[in-house]
Amino acid sequence: MAELKPPDSRRCTYFFLYDGSKVRGEGDPTRDGICYFYPEDTPLDMQDLLCGQLAGVSRCVSELSSSAVQTLRLRRCKFAIRMKEDFFWAFGCSMEVPTVSVCELLDHLISLFCFYNGSVRQSYQLSSKENLASEWARYLSHVLSGPSELHYIFQSVRTIDLSNVDPLLLLKAALILQACQRCPLVLAGCILFRGRVVSTQMPPELTIKVIVHESESYSKIQRSSGESPASSDGGSVSSAAVFLTPSELQDLKSAPVDKTSRFHPAAEKDAPPKKTRLSRTLSDAASCESEPPRPASCQSPQKGSISPHLSGSEDSAFSPAPSQRAADSPSPLSPCSNGTNASEAVEGDPEESHYHSFYSSGDVVSQTLSEGDGSAIEESVYLNGATSATFSADDSFGEEKMTAGLKAESRQPPPGSWAPDSLEDSPLVAMTLYTHRVNSLVLALLVEPGFMSDTASLEEVNHSSLASLNGLEAHLRAIPAAAPGAAGPYLFAHHDSVQHTLTTNVSGRPGGAPEHPFVRATSLLHSHFFDTETLQEAIIRNAGTAVYGTRSVAQETFFQQHGGSMRNSGIPNQQDSAFSLPSKARHRLLKHGVNLL
Amino acid sequence: VSPVSSQPVHVEPARKSLLKVILLGDGGVGKSSIMNRYVTNKFDAHLFHTIGVEFLNKTLEVDGNQVTLQIWDTAGQERFRSLRTPFYRGSDCCLLTFSVDDNQSFLNLSNWKKEFIYYADVKEPENFPFVVLGNKVDVTERQVSTEEARLWCQENGEYPYFETSAKDATNVAVAFEEAVHRALAADDKADHLIPTDTVKLHRKPRSATACCS
Repeated sequence: MAELKPPDSRRCTYFFLYDGSKVRGEGDPTRDGICYFYPEDTPLDMQDLLCGQLAGVSRCVSELSSSAVQTLRLRRCKFAIRMKEDFFWAFGCSMEVPTVSVCELLDHLISLFCFYNGSVRQSYQLSSKENLASEWARYLSHVLSGPSELHYIFQSVRTIDLSNVDPLLLLKAALILQACQRCPLVLAGCILFRGRVVSTQMPPELTIKVIVHESESYSKIQRSSGESPASSDGGSVSSAAVFLTPSELQDLKSAPVDKTSRFHPAAEKDAPPKKTRLSRTLSDAASCESEPPRPASCQSPQKGSISPHLSGSEDSAFSPAPSQRAADSPSPLSPCSNGTNASEAVEGDPEESHYHSFYSSGDVVSQTLSEGDGSAIEESVYLNGATSATFSADDSFGEEKMTAGLKAESRQPPPGSWAPDSLEDSPLVAMTLYTHRVNSLVLALLVEPGFMSDTASLEEVNHSSLASLNGLEAHLRAIPAAAPGAAGPYLFAHHDSVQHTLTTNVSGRPGGAPEHPFVRATSLLHSHFFDTETLQEAIIRNAGTAVYGTRSVAQETFFQQHGGSMRNSGIPNQQDSAFSLPSKARHRLLKHGVNLL
Repeated sequence: VSPVSSQPVHVEPARKSLLKVILLGDGGVGKSSIMNRYVTNKFDAHLFHTIGVEFLNKTLEVDGNQVTLQIWDTAGQERFRSLRTPFYRGSDCCLLTFSVDDNQSFLNLSNWKKEFIYYADVKEPENFPFVVLGNKVDVTERQVSTEEARLWCQENGEYPYFETSAKDATNVAVAFEEAVHRALAADDKADHLIPTDTVKLHRKPRSATACCS
């Protein structure tokens, strides 16, 4: 895909994965534990230093506080930290990037890896470090390849430019997907054109992951075995193993599909038993049981209401195992018989609670450790309700921690809302990603593993979709690319936190220097919105300009008007042009389909 | 030309290796079903309206040459007009389709022909190969008789007429084969119209590899 660019160094300064299990003894060199380090040309000594220090500090603080470190600040670099078992991830970028975005990026990266490779531990048992390094590089380059810096702040599903597309074509795409779903082995699908989403039946978190495969499918065909040969119709069909979290799977399976209209209603029973590649008993139990209907409140309308960020479902990949935590911290809450629910209920959304404590300056627990090279490491300790309750703290931190914990608790999502996949260590379920490419158009379907060997189903799906895919491709190709419109008299960015889409007129072109203040202001406001639950509108200004931001449970919108003299006398003034921004934003953005009323 | 010929020089004029055939006609007359029956030999009674255009390829061997037949299926409803018309261009043959149990679809054939000639930008409409299909002959209540249909074909330019049924596969393959032959014949005719006094010794058919093994 043309959009894939090498990672922007401004966006990511460091990324590494460190396996602590490889470095046990005193004499074990740190570099044995480094699974992947970006930038790859970093001198080994430097890699050692950074991995050793960050991992050491994080482990130390985690053990002291009985809770996982989530972010670290090292001079002018901000690191998102994730730990799972012996694995340690750090993703560092400049201080300008909102903490919430850095954490989301790292979570997204890890979830991408797990989606395509399964559990991290198992991947490193099955495959070589070099192979997996190229996987990390690939996901990193994808995560960082957004067309503008805004896409870095809001990880979003990139959709086709709808301005020139006849809505009937979107209907056509949706119908293709529906037709495919008549096959009972097909869970859900999406249609992509030139790497952008035309139509999708999957939740945004999954769509984002699937896009990566699309953008790399050509090279993948050459690399991996087990590909079906290109079909005689000129399109090419391929498949790849993917791994879903149990909650992702449940979401897909609970989607309202009219089972009666499926091709072979009887085949439902014949569907191969779902099994995971890992022979874990928990997985078998989870997948063999009939899926209980989720309460209505689990459905999408509320998805974004509590945690307006992407990473919710990826928690399982990095958090410490529940058993470990239970052992470390004698929780007053006795574990329920259903361990899963217990951890969900206790933990809530760890990130939320963390960010809250991080941003509220009073709650930040910071220490300064003098390192050999004199660099100060400031760190924030992640606290959640469960652990804070257990502190028998007699030091001055105690109260602060307690406060943070209580605040965090107040922000816990109510039970039944979009519970992030806090089934810690929940086993991933193997599924198959089927892709059918027609030139620039790709039909991607998440299918049961048995699908690729089921000739009848394959043929059925192929027959029901091929002609329409050909046609849709011809239609979309015929649409002239929208001329990159000259920057208007205003800049805006609109993020739909339910659909994870970003609408903006910020181009991200190399010469986009005038846009930079807007991006910075947006980034700042985004942080504040995340941090302060009750904040709905804000204006950020300097002497020359002002940026207006507004948010609701479902969206965040940012707007900057160019030109016009700022009438700003320094004292509250009705004539102040900044106060007209909200109404201007409402008016201007209507034509972009953004309704701020 | 002998298939064992190893000479790179052929005297036979190059034939098109990709033929675009387009199905036009009112909504619901069975254009998609005809295409599906011919290419995949399947019939689905519950197809949704076609939106815009769709197409399938089928490879055929005609006189020892590989020909890819690209069958374009179009949306018959008026509201899809702007989506389908841009794809008329470059067609080698047009299959005008109506349903024998729907008189209006038969009456509309002239409109379809007009629409095609206009948007496909056909240079010599009188020489363009049209084929007429009366579909759904499996139904018992006909509204259009064979004679009426034949008469229309005769009066409009001696178009071949086939009574087809996508449901039970009647005449579908025959109709497409006729379309291919008409298209190739028109192509040959057009080739001959090019005034050439010279013999092009180096001219190679595109399908050279297929016929000189």
